[in-house]
Amino acid sequence: MVRPDSPHNYPGTLGNRPIAVQFHAGSHYVALRLLEGYLPNEKIKLVHYGSPQQRFEAMWNGEVDACVVMEPWIALGEKLGCKAVCEGHYLGAENASDDMDEATFAAINRAVAKAVDMLNADKRKYLHYLIDDPRQAAALAQYGGLTPEDFHLPRLRYSYTTPYTDEIVEDTYHWMVRWGLLNGAACATDLVDNRLPEAEATSADD
Amino acid sequence: MKKVVSEISGTVFSLPWLIAKDHGLFEAEGIDMEFVRARPSGVVTHTEDPSEVNPILGHVAFEEARVSIYRA
Repeated sequence: MVRPDSPHNYPGTLGNRPIAVQFHAGSHYVALRLLEGYLPNEKIKLVHYGSPQQRFEAMWNGEVDACVVMEPWIALGEKLGCKAVCEGHYLGAENASDDMDEATFAAINRAVAKAVDMLNADKRKYLHYLIDDPRQAAALAQYGGLTPEDFHLPRLRYSYTTPYTDEIVEDTYHWMVRWGLLNGAACATDLVDNRLPEAEATSADD
Repeated sequence: MKKVVSEISGTVFSLPWLIAKDHGLFEAEGIDMEFVRARPSGVVTHTEDPSEVNPILGHVAFEEARVSIYRA
C-alpha cells in the first residue's frame, strides 16, 4: 500500500525503495512472493518495522515508500485514499504444543468451524472485533476511524482447519530456502510430521 | 471442562476464535478457553537484514509453554 500522493501505481516502480514489513511474518513472505514477479530480487528492499500500525504509520509519514499490512489497516488506508499496488493472500497455521491431545485439538477445531460458518454467513456483523480491538482502536480513531461499511468483504476469507498437504510444505520449503529464510541442510520431512493426518485419511478411506 | 490457553496475535487471524468464545462454542465442546495477547513488538530496530530479527516475534508465551496453541 502507498500514500495517496505516491507516484507508485504498480509494484514495478518500487525497486530499491524501502517497504515496511515484519520480518519472519506474513507481511515479509507475501511481500517477497508479490514483488519477485515484478522486480529482480536484489532490488526488493524490505525493512523491518514491526507491528501493522508501525508499518502503516511509516508509510503514512513518508519514512518508507510502501507498507505491507492486513485488515483493518487496508480498509483504513483505502478510506484515506491510499493505493493498494498489489494484494496477496496466504494460508494461516494453527500451532499446537506437543502435549495437546488429539481429542482436545479436534474439539477446538469443531468450535472454530462453527464460528467460521457464522462469520461467513454475515461477515459485516463481526467486524466490530477488528474496529474495537483495544490495541489499535485509538490509532484507527486518530485517522478518522472505521465502520463495518468501510471493509471490502471478499478480502476476508475464512475456511475450516485442514492439514497442510505435503506438496504445499515442499513447495514452501524450497521457496524459503531459495530466499535464505531456512537452513537448506534441513529438509521438509524433518520439519513437518504428517503422520496424524495421513492416519486419519487412511481411516476415512477404510 | 478442559482448560486451554491460546495466544491471540492479529485479530484478523483469530476472528473465528473470538466469535467461538463469545458465543459459547468452545464451552459447548467442553473447552474452557482462555486468551492471552501476544507480546507487542515494542521498540523495533529498523533493519534490512532478516537475521537480525528473532523469528519468534511476539510468540514468547508459546515458547515459554504458557499457552498451548497459537495461530500465525
